[in-house]
Amino acid sequence: MHLLPLILYACAAGAYLAHFAGRDRSVGRLATGLLGGAVLSHTFIIGMQTVQVGHAPLVGTTAAVSAFVWLLGLAYLYVELTTDERAMGVLVSALLALLYVIPALDPGVSPRPAVLQSPLFTLHVLAMLFAYASFALACVLGVTYVLLFKEIKAKHLGYFYARLPSLQVLDVMNGRVITIGWIFLTIGIAIGGIWASQVQSSPDPRAQAMSAADPKILVALVCWGVYSFALFARRAIGWTGRRAAWLSALGFVIVLLNFVPVGYFLTKSHNF
Amino acid sequence: MTTRLFAVGLSHRTAPVELRESVDFSRGGPGEALAALASRGICQEMVVLSTCNRAEIYAVAGPDGPDTIARFFADYHQLPLARLSDHLYVRRADDAARHLFRVAAGLDSLVVGEPQILGQVKAAYAASSDRGHTAAVTNRLFHTAFGVGKRVRRETGISEGAVSVSYAAIALARKIFGDLTGLNVLILGAGGMAKLTGIHLKAQQVRQITIASRTLAAAERLARELDGRAAPWGDLADALGAADIVITATGAVDPVLTRAGVQEVMRPRRQRPLFIIDIAVPRDVEASVGDLEQVFLYNIDDLQSIVKENLTRRSSELERAEAIVHEEVENFTTWLQSRDIIPTVVALRERFEAIRQAELARLEPKLAGLPPEARARVDEITKLLVQKLLLTPTEQLKSVRDDSLISTYSDALNRLFALEDEPPARGESARKARVSPLRRD
Repeated sequence: MHLLPLILYACAAGAYLAHFAGRDRSVGRLATGLLGGAVLSHTFIIGMQTVQVGHAPLVGTTAAVSAFVWLLGLAYLYVELTTDERAMGVLVSALLALLYVIPALDPGVSPRPAVLQSPLFTLHVLAMLFAYASFALACVLGVTYVLLFKEIKAKHLGYFYARLPSLQVLDVMNGRVITIGWIFLTIGIAIGGIWASQVQSSPDPRAQAMSAADPKILVALVCWGVYSFALFARRAIGWTGRRAAWLSALGFVIVLLNFVPVGYFLTKSHNF
Repeated sequence: MTTRLFAVGLSHRTAPVELRESVDFSRGGPGEALAALASRGICQEMVVLSTCNRAEIYAVAGPDGPDTIARFFADYHQLPLARLSDHLYVRRADDAARHLFRVAAGLDSLVVGEPQILGQVKAAYAASSDRGHTAAVTNRLFHTAFGVGKRVRRETGISEGAVSVSYAAIALARKIFGDLTGLNVLILGAGGMAKLTGIHLKAQQVRQITIASRTLAAAERLARELDGRAAPWGDLADALGAADIVITATGAVDPVLTRAGVQEVMRPRRQRPLFIIDIAVPRDVEASVGDLEQVFLYNIDDLQSIVKENLTRRSSELERAEAIVHEEVENFTTWLQSRDIIPTVVALRERFEAIRQAELARLEPKLAGLPPEARARVDEITKLLVQKLLLTPTEQLKSVRDDSLISTYSDALNRLFALEDEPPARGESARKARVSPLRRD
């Protein structure tokens, strides 16, 4: 059962790729349907886990990755259904399928330690994950912007020219998505800070390790710096277009690094 | 009794432009040619398609129809028939359908896949249909053609990519800016090319067109024509700063826009993209301007090579488009042939229905005592009985494809059921199935 979302995410990725290459509308609808099915089955699994342990399954990196995939899938489906633009689906669904390998390999739910029994913890995780999902979309928009930009600059109009929306649309959407992500990141970090100060007296060694020196927290702060700069640069010094696209790609690479390698191997504060 | 569908016409493939210009049915409005043709009383159904690249008449008429229509081509335009006859082509039955389907799909166009022709075919059909000159065959023929046109455009890449320089430029602008309606356009130069491009951009409903030329009077003249604004040459830098799209078409020998000059205006623009289209020969814009971030520079050669690539890509889609046309022609031909037997089928049904009615009338005294529900039941049962009896023969008849077999069957049925002896009164449904009589407007 826990493999079903993985299979559906992977099939959706294949269908999006086929749609991108062949531009057949019915394949496009199939891709959307498959992704919808994947998110639905994923919702079911998260629901089952919630019933099983009595709280939202957000404890530990694996659960966080799973929730991130779920949020990104929902956010992407929302964007696709409101804009009728499927070109981003190739990259997004590939990312979803790839990341879902982690929860698929490790389907168990971690128990919630006493120290995490606070609504602030749930809010912190959800805000952070939503911010990361936004940054993932921004990265995809940035990558496609650069691909299209290169084709137009090189005066060789071909593959991407026929398939992607205009540079302006990609750029404006990138700006919006980063703004949304930044707001949630700020909220997430702030709530995290408040919560960490509340649990300083807890005997849990992980609560003791909550400080800006911990890799996970440090890298999150670096992310906040990068996206703050991206927003500032867009508004104040006109870093739109290609520079904004590169920044959003760079930002998301840092997010991914923080998520998987740092989250699993380096942090002492977030290894639940 | 075979339905004779055919097309007579000339196009850019068979006639030089001078001849095409003198054979123009659209001159007197869509109704005039139709009325003139109808007054000859030779066609049961007709559609006149007249564009700048073709003049064609699709008609359903008797065996001498093609000749009469060829003569109509000559008479209507007051040309000797001998001047036309070498350029006219006649397509019959399935060939006529294939021809129209290819035309509607843009496969027979001068620029393969061009989108206008489908609209022109629709307008020609509507003009004829509104005046009552179309019926079963042309209705089906043209509606199928519209479907073929749409299908070919949807399922193949035949209409993809701009195939003229101005459309290529506009498509590019759309890929950079998305929506063109809020954009400012600056045109440098006030000559013929500048004007032509200006007209194209104006049609895209850009926000404002500014024209700058070394002679302000010329700029003002063009600005009036394009509803734009003239800017003195000295204010070029300001105008450039405000523009999103710049068209350069001056006769200058030296570059008008230099890298240093454009770089200067890009800074206060804060990276807002600038699309420069250099259609001047020799070039108005230094090539290195295109290296600047957020500046997209295309010259006329670049646009032409895009057009050439698109044309190549379109022609590689031809095979798939022809396959769609072929499939639809097969379907249409099957339907067309099955129609030849229809008058016999209709007569047979009417004969059976007449017998049923006669028998019911004869039994009237015996049925009079029955309650109304039982009467209705009797009526229903007899109707069903007739329908059942005729179902298989009708299907069998409609599936006959061979012309000679159709006439053999018709003859046999006519004789066996004495269908021609005593024509029964025609029911409403029978009248609908028949070709409407020619209207003489």
